[in-house]
Amino acid sequence: MRKFSGAEKQTISSFASGLSAAILLIVLISLVLFIMLKGSVYFWPSQVFKVITYDTPNSEVSAFVPSSVNIDEFNQALSNKLNAQFSNSTLPMPLMVVEQVDAVYQISLYSGAIQYGTFQQINTPNSERYQLAELSDVVADVAIFQNQLHDIQTNYLTVLHRKIALLNQSGVGEEAPARLKELEQFTYWQQKAEALRQKLTSYHLIFIDASGQPFDVLVKDIHHLFQPNVMSLFDKFSYSGNKIIEFVSESPKQASTSGGVFPALFGTVLMVLLMAVIVAPFGAMAAIYLHEYAPNNMTTSVIRICVSNMAGVPSVVYGVFGLGFFVYTLGGSIDSLLFSDALPSPTFGTPGLFWAALTMALLTLPVVIVSTEEGLRRVPEGLRAGSYALGATKAETIWKTVLPVASPGIMTGVILAIARAAGEVAPLILVGAVKFAPSLPVDGEFPFLHLERQFMHLGVFIYDGAFHNQTNTQGSSMMFASCMLLLIIVFILNLFAIIVRNKLRDRYVRI
Amino acid sequence: MLKLFETETLSLDKLTDEQTAIKVNDFSVWLNNSLVLNNINMRIPKNKITAMIGQSGCGKSTLLSSFNRMNELNQKYAFSGEVELDGRDIYNKKENVAKLRTKVGMVFQRPNPFPMSIYENVCFGLRIQGKTERRMLDDIVETSLRNAALWDEVKGRLFDSALLLSGGQQQRLVIARALALKPEILLLDEPTSALDPLTTLHIEELINQLKKTTTVVIVTHNMQQAARVSDYSVFLHQGELIEYSDSDSLFTMPAKKQTEDYITGRYG
Ligand SMILES: Nc1ncnc2c1ncn2[C@@H]1O[C@H](COP(=O)(O)OP(=O)(O)OP(=O)(O)O)[C@@H](O)[C@H]1O
Ligand SMILES: [Mg+2]
Repeated sequence: MRKFSGAEKQTISSFASGLSAAILLIVLISLVLFIMLKGSVYFWPSQVFKVITYDTPNSEVSAFVPSSVNIDEFNQALSNKLNAQFSNSTLPMPLMVVEQVDAVYQISLYSGAIQYGTFQQINTPNSERYQLAELSDVVADVAIFQNQLHDIQTNYLTVLHRKIALLNQSGVGEEAPARLKELEQFTYWQQKAEALRQKLTSYHLIFIDASGQPFDVLVKDIHHLFQPNVMSLFDKFSYSGNKIIEFVSESPKQASTSGGVFPALFGTVLMVLLMAVIVAPFGAMAAIYLHEYAPNNMTTSVIRICVSNMAGVPSVVYGVFGLGFFVYTLGGSIDSLLFSDALPSPTFGTPGLFWAALTMALLTLPVVIVSTEEGLRRVPEGLRAGSYALGATKAETIWKTVLPVASPGIMTGVILAIARAAGEVAPLILVGAVKFAPSLPVDGEFPFLHLERQFMHLGVFIYDGAFHNQTNTQGSSMMFASCMLLLIIVFILNLFAIIVRNKLRDRYVRI
Repeated sequence: MLKLFETETLSLDKLTDEQTAIKVNDFSVWLNNSLVLNNINMRIPKNKITAMIGQSGCGKSTLLSSFNRMNELNQKYAFSGEVELDGRDIYNKKENVAKLRTKVGMVFQRPNPFPMSIYENVCFGLRIQGKTERRMLDDIVETSLRNAALWDEVKGRLFDSALLLSGGQQQRLVIARALALKPEILLLDEPTSALDPLTTLHIEELINQLKKTTTVVIVTHNMQQAARVSDYSVFLHQGELIEYSDSDSLFTMPAKKQTEDYITGRYG
């Protein structure tokens, strides 16, 4: 058998390690690229085709289909539908024709729904028929009416309603002139609002769908209206720019298949920051105790081993613990002590933001303890001695000299904790993250930060998105877009923590 | 041997308690279960300079740090005997160690500046004592740095990190740091080992100045330095006190053969 010489061994091992590094890099890059590719479909306007499927020579079904839809899957779904219609006939696989129609419009509604059609006409209340060129005038009119309606609602109706309610409270008689006056006002504005609403519903656009049937859309419902097949590159970019802004700033629509993910983004960042605020001091204190105060004996070593092993406990176990202990036991007792008048409906005794942050803090505590201890171990003995020799007590020494030098270690722990917490799903579902939360955990209502509320989380949102129908391209591309956003968020949070760490390192650690 | 600075010498055997700064009685130290100092007895005279000489590893640093209980930071540390300051055993249970260390300052063998600005390094001890008045701190920082012959080099960058200073500058900084507290006793462990001859001379002058108000104990490997600056010298060998007398006699006519061998350089 041939033996490798030393130099050859070196070449082989350096080649092998280079190769594995390259493979890792490729896997990583292709993962990111794949997610980006799939996710970008959500933002990029896709071409729309008219697909005509002939089942038998005299039965045809047509539809406008965006190119982002997988045609095969679409076809499958369509043929299932056809087969259902003609269930007793034995028919061959349907024949399909794809046509390009330049004039087709994509109509995105505020509700999140998307429709396709070719334009026919604009209908207005005075039943004049406008041409498409005048669409912008019509849209401007509608916007004016909508503003007026909004104005009436906030400035008159709500105000009057409150006044009347106050009068009712103070026991003013039904027929009191003050009350009657307000009521009269109220009815007047209500009628005005109703008239405006009527007016708004009489501005329609009429489109024709792929099979030639006209359908109409209320102008006030239209969010975007554009012709994807004849869009210039600039228009496409500005469209995706708008879509991206919408994605990060708006709420999900249409059962989380369109719209934005702002609540989930906000919930993720808030939960992670809360967790960091909880875990950093606790982790640091525990590590300081273990390293500086605990006697160097068996018990301490056992505790240390336990801490490292805690990092390996499956996260769902933490979730179950959080639900059982934090939510039911702790939250339940808080409720019975402080919010007993609200019982039996729970305030803190139900999954919520605070319990989620606490559970995640517990989950990431070992990481922070271990890396803080690593940081403490790196503090030179001479530094401690120098501080003691100037008359500092142990606490002063730790606080003023040891902790600053160990702070990059704490930050390393926090960085790892953030990455972990932002990506967890299983424990979060148990302790407070939901796929749809009616309100954000922060609002203008006292006490502004509502720790007991349920919240949305990107990881949970993605997990939920994975259950959407595969043919609903819109939904699954939104899931990939959310994935991309999660990656970016974790990256930004980490970058921020790394910058802080490097600042600390420059400041406190010998170069 | 030439003495630079003239001082009156007291006879060590006849020191009264008044004239004694530190009294060491039957003091032994074990580190890691091995005997490092063996039954030391000595009196260190007040407001004088005492030099400690001896081979590397003979226990000089250990003895020095017994005077402000810095030894205790070692995990495996044991001792017997007493160290008396102002007539009280500093190893008594009720001793306020932090306060003791403000009175007995120490400069370590290896410079250990804190990762803070030069200014904050010097006023670290003062801040610990709760002194925050800016004017006073400024004054003390300047005097201490001047005394440590560092002021001219750093006056323009007092708020830069102390870690950017050179080794020798760091050594002077930690001297200034100890001086800022105006200790009654100053323990110097090879304070000039990283300094050039001229700066060394500065520090030696400073030590001589300090003598008016401070008792100085200095460890050095430099025989000339010991002879130049100290009033008294003690020679340690393998944890035992071999000879202790005024520096003139110790360096010109040592009583013990071992001392003579060491100062004439016959030991490794
Ligand atoms: N933490 C420790 N644990 C065990 N032994 C120690 C420890 N520190 C010092 N020693 C030992 O104690 C002895 C005395 O050390 P010490 O530092 O006092 O010597 P020194 O005289 O100051 O030497 P040098 O001139 O090299 O500084 C040495 O043999 C050393 O190995
Ligand atoms: Mg030493």
